[in-house]
Amino acid sequence: MKLSKVSLFTIALLLLMVTGLSGFAGGAAAEPGTGKTYVIGTDITFAPFEFQDVNGKYVGIDMDLMDAIAKDQNFKYEIKPLGFNAAVQALESNQVDGVIAGMSITDERKQKFDFSEPYFESGVVMAVGKNNDTVKSYDDLKGKKVAVKTGTEGYTFAQSIASKYGFTIVPFDDSSQMYEDVKTGNSVACFEDYPVLAYVAKQSNDLKIVTKKEAGASYGFAVGKGKNKELLEKFNTGLTNLRASGEYDRIKEKYLAEDAAGAATQSRSELILGSIQPLLIGLGKTLLYTIVSLFFAFILGLIFGFMKVGQNRFLRGVATVFVDLFRGIPLIVLALFIYFGIPQALGFTMPLFLAAILTLSLNAGAYVTEIIRGGIESIDRGQMEAARSLGLPYRKAMIKIVIPQAIRVMVPAFINQLVITLKDTSILSAIGLVELTQSGKIIIARTYESFTIWAEVAIMYLIVITILTKLSGYLEGRVRRG
Amino acid sequence: MGKIRVEGLKKSYGANQVLKGIDMQVQQGEVVCVIGPSGSGKSTFLRCINRLEDITEGRVIVDDQDLNDPKTDINKARENIGMVFQHFNLFPHFSVLKNIMFAPMELGKMNAKEARDTAMKLLTRVGLADKADAFPSQLSGGQKQRVAIARALAMNPDVMLFDEPTSALDPEMVGEVLGVMKDLAREGMTMMIVTHEMGFAREVADRVIFMDGGYIIEDGTPEEVFGSPKNERTISFLQKVL
Repeated sequence: MKLSKVSLFTIALLLLMVTGLSGFAGGAAAEPGTGKTYVIGTDITFAPFEFQDVNGKYVGIDMDLMDAIAKDQNFKYEIKPLGFNAAVQALESNQVDGVIAGMSITDERKQKFDFSEPYFESGVVMAVGKNNDTVKSYDDLKGKKVAVKTGTEGYTFAQSIASKYGFTIVPFDDSSQMYEDVKTGNSVACFEDYPVLAYVAKQSNDLKIVTKKEAGASYGFAVGKGKNKELLEKFNTGLTNLRASGEYDRIKEKYLAEDAAGAATQSRSELILGSIQPLLIGLGKTLLYTIVSLFFAFILGLIFGFMKVGQNRFLRGVATVFVDLFRGIPLIVLALFIYFGIPQALGFTMPLFLAAILTLSLNAGAYVTEIIRGGIESIDRGQMEAARSLGLPYRKAMIKIVIPQAIRVMVPAFINQLVITLKDTSILSAIGLVELTQSGKIIIARTYESFTIWAEVAIMYLIVITILTKLSGYLEGRVRRG
Repeated sequence: MGKIRVEGLKKSYGANQVLKGIDMQVQQGEVVCVIGPSGSGKSTFLRCINRLEDITEGRVIVDDQDLNDPKTDINKARENIGMVFQHFNLFPHFSVLKNIMFAPMELGKMNAKEARDTAMKLLTRVGLADKADAFPSQLSGGQKQRVAIARALAMNPDVMLFDEPTSALDPEMVGEVLGVMKDLAREGMTMMIVTHEMGFAREVADRVIFMDGGYIIEDGTPEEVFGSPKNERTISFLQKVL
């Protein structure tokens, strides 16, 4: 009876995973065509090149261009919005076939990637807060802070002149965070490519551009060095065709003209109503990843926990190494290592969901191991001795006498771990997992409404965690009463 | 042949030798009390007799079974050796009845009905039939220890080991536990008792063993050990406790 319950639960979890996986392939739908589906990494917040529109669809110059070229050259592709840094790392470690993310062609990048023909001429400009009348040139930056986005041309440019003009660089991973930092006045200015800042200034009316374009690099589509030659050729041919047909200019116009279509301005209630659905989908992902990871963490914890309390010295050592290793590595480092590091070293592609589950399971598994070890060791030795003295074998004594008592001790710690893992899923947004936090980031990238969206996200976490805690508290009470 | 035979028993924890060579026998139906100062090794000695402590050297033979022989099924051997602990070690998540029924049922000795009947009989015998459905946390120390004795008896052992069974009890509860043990002795149970209750040892024991420093120093009838101890250490110990 008990056994069938466990197997039912396992089957239910596996079903949940399978149904969940179908939703893991993020971003835009694949285009019709034949042959291989290319996976294209991109940024999540780089308007007007890529950003989500109100309907949650990825749009922008890069997106429309990719779409048009794929149609022209008849290939299938799938967009993975990972964030700029994650997308570049994903290309380095062969997790994606190509990257289109308003990526400047630089000598340094040419060492690692092959670039297409330039498809956009850019150049770095400086923007300041709308009401800032004191900072008009680089000379006014002395002793001030300047926000930049890591891995961008703006960053490289700011770095090259930082000591000359005496300002400090504040790096962000996300464009909207960079703008927020300027708007709130923490930083006085930001450096970014002209079309991007121009678009932001127009959309949000909070920033203004105060310098001329630096002579800058141009944007290119990138593939891994020596890899995906046919994709690069198709991109170049398609780009030439689009330029000839005038489609290229139409796409550019669509986003850069004075009356360009952008994210429509919304009232706060519209914003909240519109954001609830994508946030709920993100929340669903968060819960799914939490449950699946904890399931595996629990299995790991059982195995290593019993190895740790067991009598075999070698197994005890193995379990100790497991715990020390995965408890000692910060979750974000573990995630980056598993998703980018290992595939790069071994030359294979790791699906995002697998990396995410693996990261969370290993991390939580280490903690669950310690919870189980602690729970078992908290039970008086006399219990085991009394059971053994009656003639019970070690396993039976463990299962019938020690574990049922230990579980009562462990339940509060398990609940704690559940809450921690649920919150930790947000860290996986660093490798592009679109869970609740990342969903919030994506909406902010489009709307620049930090306060409203982060408040919504925080409330969602609070509600879910409160419900789970109350539910577990009730279960705990039942377990205690026996 | 003795029911329990101990030959050259030594026990060390790392470099610390606790038992330094013990030879003795216990006959069928004999009641042996083990006395001695704390740290003398008497509890360790008792715990070697059902191999709760691993034996470093020597042999412990119970019912012609060498407990240290790899061929011996230690779990089977333990079914025949009941043990009562200083701190009772009742299973707190089971009712009193379940505590007693658990081992015979789990080890396939009895079905549920037999186990229940046996448990009720034993509870009646230790005077706790009305506590069958109580949980250990609801019992007094004396009641807990009587349940623990019943639990050990449920496996119908030939030998009973008692490790300071009254040391953790309030003085007014010592009597009820010793009473149960006296009854057992009268019924012919083979018993080894580590105890500080000298009056009980004198009254109930067939033999008294005095241990000190990991050796048996004196071994004789209560009259011999208490009345005319030969060894100086026995004399000095008895002077302190009597």
